[in-house]
Amino acid sequence: MAARRLTRSERKKATWGRLREASVRLCTRHGFLHVRTLDVARAAGVSHGAVFKHFPSREALVEATIQLVGRRLTDRLHELAQGRAGLRAALAAYLECVGEFEPLYARLVTEAPHLPERARRCWLGIQSAVCIHVWQALAEEERRGTIRPMPLHLLFNNWIGLVHHYLSQRDLFAPRSSVIARCGKELLEHFLSLVSVQPGR
Amino acid sequence: MVQKCVSCGMPMRTPQEHAAGDESRDYCVHCARSDGSMKSYDEALAGMTAFLVKTQGFDQEAARKAAAGMMAEMPAWKDR
Repeated sequence: MAARRLTRSERKKATWGRLREASVRLCTRHGFLHVRTLDVARAAGVSHGAVFKHFPSREALVEATIQLVGRRLTDRLHELAQGRAGLRAALAAYLECVGEFEPLYARLVTEAPHLPERARRCWLGIQSAVCIHVWQALAEEERRGTIRPMPLHLLFNNWIGLVHHYLSQRDLFAPRSSVIARCGKELLEHFLSLVSVQPGR
Repeated sequence: MVQKCVSCGMPMRTPQEHAAGDESRDYCVHCARSDGSMKSYDEALAGMTAFLVKTQGFDQEAARKAAAGMMAEMPAWKDR
């Protein structure tokens, strides 16, 4: 049986999807600040003009790309965290998730301060989702008295700052490999030893 | 897939995280008033701003701007 011809709206949706996927690939390789619409069009197999039929500007394409990445990343984080309890499990789930998205996530860490406002807003949304995830575990440990009494926002910023520092200099900490795979366990144990009332938990 | 609050985007993993513990409600316990109804935009904005200050230590005004930006993407406030 002959395949059904796609409707105009279905073709439009498919092109939109191809453009976003191509943009994800190219942003991973070149960064959000340097991705070129012409390259995205070529990678998606469409004309350069088609990019602007779907996205009014390069900035809009970058924003849509970060939204897509953010949705995938936060959905994956929630999936990994499902059914696990405790700070160790929450931090391990975060590391596992970041490890899966590492090249792109590291790009966001280093480029976010330089992104246009709307794109940066998407990054803040991702960070807030991560924060909810870690913060709930921190709050629960605090309630149980298993972590040292410290302002929770500082604990969260300590953790995120530590991981982001390693990610932003992946070439120094883990040249040509995953910094999360190489250093993640060490960072996790170090952080837990700093905050736990009884280190080794 | 975990359901997210239409007002603030918080993932709702358990019934207790839904407004009034009712899984049929698509907004979270933090975006609900004590009677279970959904908070207004201004109430939700104030709540989200306070949450950003408390959890990430942001400056009050920067937190308010960030909260407004994030809420602009939420289904409940997108077309506001």
